[in-house]
Amino acid sequence: MKKVFVLLAALAAVALPGWAVLGGSAESVVTDQVKFQARRAVVERGAYAVHEISRDDGTLIREYVSAAGKVFGVSWTGPTIPDLTQLLGSYNTEFQSSLRAQGKTFRRRPAVVHNADLVAENGGHARAFHGRAYLNSLLPSGVPQETVQ
Amino acid sequence: MRRVRSGVLAAGVAVLVMGLTACSTGSSSSSGGTTTTVTPINNVQPVTIDPGPTVNGQPVGAFNTLYTTVTICVPGTSTCQNIDHVQVDTGSSGLRLIASQVTLALPYTTDANNNLIGNCIQYVASYQWGAMATVDIKMAGEVASSVPIQIVAPPNFPAVPASCSAGFPGVQDVSDLGANGILGVGNYRQDCGSGCASVSANNPGLYFSCPSSGCTVAAVAVAAQVQNPVWLFPQDNNGLAIVLPQVGAAGAPTLAGSMIFGIGTQSNNGLGAAQAQALNSGGFFTTTLNGVAYPESYIDSGTPGYFFLDSATTQLPDCSFGGNAAGLYCPNTPVTFTAINTGPNPNGSVLPVSTNEPFSIANGLTLVDSGNFALNNIGGPNPGFVAWGLSFFFGRTVFIGIEGQNSAAGVGPYWAY
Repeated sequence: MKKVFVLLAALAAVALPGWAVLGGSAESVVTDQVKFQARRAVVERGAYAVHEISRDDGTLIREYVSAAGKVFGVSWTGPTIPDLTQLLGSYNTEFQSSLRAQGKTFRRRPAVVHNADLVAENGGHARAFHGRAYLNSLLPSGVPQETVQ
Repeated sequence: MRRVRSGVLAAGVAVLVMGLTACSTGSSSSSGGTTTTVTPINNVQPVTIDPGPTVNGQPVGAFNTLYTTVTICVPGTSTCQNIDHVQVDTGSSGLRLIASQVTLALPYTTDANNNLIGNCIQYVASYQWGAMATVDIKMAGEVASSVPIQIVAPPNFPAVPASCSAGFPGVQDVSDLGANGILGVGNYRQDCGSGCASVSANNPGLYFSCPSSGCTVAAVAVAAQVQNPVWLFPQDNNGLAIVLPQVGAAGAPTLAGSMIFGIGTQSNNGLGAAQAQALNSGGFFTTTLNGVAYPESYIDSGTPGYFFLDSATTQLPDCSFGGNAAGLYCPNTPVTFTAINTGPNPNGSVLPVSTNEPFSIANGLTLVDSGNFALNNIGGPNPGFVAWGLSFFFGRTVFIGIEGQNSAAGVGPYWAY
């Protein structure tokens, strides 16, 4: 064993720069998947489209895009939690401040916030996480909340 | 600075030694017609639930935090330190100590280019980020030699990468963690496994090389990753049991129990009537409640209670937002549930194994305000999923089978209770 640690230049950008952000426009969904070494697929479902971004490590991110081009929900599953500052944008600030109001054990129990507009959840355990977030105000007419998962 | 190459060699030696001695885990072994009696090693490590470590004169723990005292030593020496109030977490793997609590002089692990190695672990709503070091770990009479661990928040360490924090707060000091460290004794040997040793998109990115220009994701050999120390013990290394007494409906101020190393390796750690359920690749099994199956359920001593489903599904009211019990359930009177846990039999039998699991949820605000630190019947929402936290461990023996390790129940990963 000559070299124990091999640097992964190709993996340097493991965060999700440029992902579409919750509540924002869908346009940035298409960017930067190369850096993330991810694949993207789009599934049309009538009132909305699901952009699926998957990576070989098991990460699957779904972005729910309305006909008006807005990201009304996102979900994620995989061995790590994606960078929610990018995926949720400013809504992560609301997610975190709402969690902080949940007392001393909030850091080690499933993260669940159901506010008037923002619903955000993260669960699972080391090696296997899952979560979702959506904005009630942006759900297309007739699309139930359970769609985002 | 210790170069990691030597650390890996040491870990490799430890693995080899374990392999050679793995069959002498019983109380005796025979060879050439003579029987050698092996003196059983003390495999019982005390654990407690209490108010936690003290910061500025105040205990900083939260309810249902299980602690133990871990001894770490400079490898191969008797230069050691006891660290109390380390949280026992079956939801992660490996020892992680808050740097300010470590007085031993430990060099941080570097890579072949002499860059510091950074290690990240994500929890469900927090992270830990820090350096790596190698120590001998001693608990009860057991010793795991040259074990890679995480040193959380060492001084002058590079900033946490955004892909590690992921928008959540860190538990980088004793106050935020509510403990002096975390001892991951879950179902897995390492915190990551082969993915983090891979130079590909299979690598989830939990290890970093940190030159002054900034940290980038690195591949780290499996043996050099943060290790669950139990599987590195020379004996009693196929798993462990956590044994805690029952707790009454009002809770208890403190609780004392045991962590017993090995499964069926000594007279005190047999499976008895416990039924074993294997885990899927995500570490999950299926919980069925009111006829609905939830296939990503898990047991976790690091989760403080029963976190399951939502108010609409359980008919349990949420505690009020902003109060002491926000994020918990607050029924007026206790509500009893009976769930069914199901998983494959780890012995390879085609028939799955199911157990009935009754539990009760009482008013979270009343329990939190009671001032008791061991709380039964406490829970909160976890929409679409069921997490069996520390309350699940009360009044029983819960066995944790480690991946790839054999026992009378079969090969881990599995739970048995």
